[in-house]
Amino acid sequence: MRRRPGIGGLQTAAAARDQYRLLGDNVAKLRTDLMKEQLATFRSQLEDFARKHKNDIRKNPTFRTQFHEMCAKVGVDPLASNKGFWAELLGIGDFYYELGVQIVEICLATRPHNGGLINLQELCALLRQKRKSDREAVSEDDCLRAISKLKILGSGFEVISVGKRKLVRSVPTELNKDHNEILELAQAQGFVTVDELERRLSWTSGRATDALDTLLDEGLAMIDDGHRDGKRRYWFPCVSSISTSVVSDI
Amino acid sequence: MQKLGDFKLPQFFNYPPYFTLQPVRDTREKQVQLWKELILDYCRTQKIFVIGLEEEFPLFSNHLIERSLSNEAREAFLSVLVSEGRAEWLDRGHRKCLILWHRIQDWADILLHFVRDNGFEDSVMTVEEIRTGVESRGTELHGIDRTILMRALKLLEHKGKLAIFKGTSADDEGVKFSV
Repeated sequence: MRRRPGIGGLQTAAAARDQYRLLGDNVAKLRTDLMKEQLATFRSQLEDFARKHKNDIRKNPTFRTQFHEMCAKVGVDPLASNKGFWAELLGIGDFYYELGVQIVEICLATRPHNGGLINLQELCALLRQKRKSDREAVSEDDCLRAISKLKILGSGFEVISVGKRKLVRSVPTELNKDHNEILELAQAQGFVTVDELERRLSWTSGRATDALDTLLDEGLAMIDDGHRDGKRRYWFPCVSSISTSVVSDI
Repeated sequence: MQKLGDFKLPQFFNYPPYFTLQPVRDTREKQVQLWKELILDYCRTQKIFVIGLEEEFPLFSNHLIERSLSNEAREAFLSVLVSEGRAEWLDRGHRKCLILWHRIQDWADILLHFVRDNGFEDSVMTVEEIRTGVESRGTELHGIDRTILMRALKLLEHKGKLAIFKGTSADDEGVKFSV
C-alpha cells in the first residue's frame, strides 16, 4: 500500500532524521576524542623527549637546530611565548631573548664602525666573546633565530644574503641590487675601486660612483686615497674582520 | 697586535681608510674619536709633549700598510684636541702642537700633591729642580715640558698657592710654595 502523505509520515521522517543526527554526532565525538587522545599522547611524547634531552637541547647547538626543525614540522613553536610550557620546560625562550639583547648591544656598539651592517660570522664571534663565561655554545642558527624574534619589535633587524655570506642589518637602509653586487665584490679583498666595478660588472663610471656614494652616505663604506697607484679605494668594514678587534678594544 | 716599542697599537691603525679623512660626517666623527684617543694615549705613555706636524711622528704613518696621514688630516685631528682643551697650538701657523694629556688644571693638582707628599709646603725650589731634580724622580712631573709646567705654576700663583720669582741665574726661576 502506497503511503499517503500525512502527519504520521512526517513525524516518522523527522524521527529518522533525529536518529541519524544522533548517530552522526556520536561518531564525530568518537573521532574527536580519539584525535584528542592522539594529540595528548603525541604532546606528552614530545614533552618526554624534550625533558629527556633537555641538556642536549641546551648545550648542543646542532641538536638544538634539529629539535627546532622537528617542532616546526609538527607546528609547535617553542619560542612562541615565554610563559608557555616549552619555555618553562626548557628555559629556551630566555636563552633566545638573552641572545637577542646581546645581538642588539653588539650591533649598536659596532654601528659607528660598520654603519649598521655586520657579517653574521663576525656577529657570532663577538657574541661568543661576550658570553665567554657561558659554556653553552652559540651557533649561527641560534643567531638567526634570535634575530627573527627581534623582528617583532619592528626595529628593522634583518638578515640579508650577499653572495655566499649573510649580513645582519640593524639600520633601515634600503640596499638595492647594485649595492649588493658591490658588497659581494668587496668580499674578496675588503675594498673595491670604481675601475674594478666598471670592469667586472660592466657598469658606467656614473653608475658605479652613484652606488658607492650612497654606501658612503649610509656609513657602510670608507674611502682610502693613500694607495700608491693613486686610485681611490672604497673599503667596507662590514665585510672585513677588522671591526672584531676594534670593538673588543672599546 | 702591532706594537710601537712597548705601546700596543689599536686595530684600526691597520685599516687603510682610517688614514684618509672621511667625507661623511658620522664616519668622520668616529674616525676622529679613535685618532684622538690614540694620540693622547701614545703621548701619555711615551711622555711626548709636543708634536710637530711636519716632523716624523710614529703614529702618522704605518709602514705595514703603506699609509700615512696627510697634513690636512694631522691638523684636523689635532684641531679637535685643541677645541676640547687637550692640546694647544704653539704657533699661528699650526705647525707645532702642545699635547695636554693632563689638562693644565690637572697638572696643577699633581704639583700640589707632589708638594704635600714631600713636605715642601713652605720650601723654595727652582723650576728646573721640579722638572729634573731628585725629588720628582718617579713622579709624573719628572721631565715635564717647561711650557706646561710654567702654565700650571702660573695657575697656582694666581690662586695664591705659590710665588714665582727670578733666580740668581737669568734662565731659571724660583718657586716659593705656600700651600
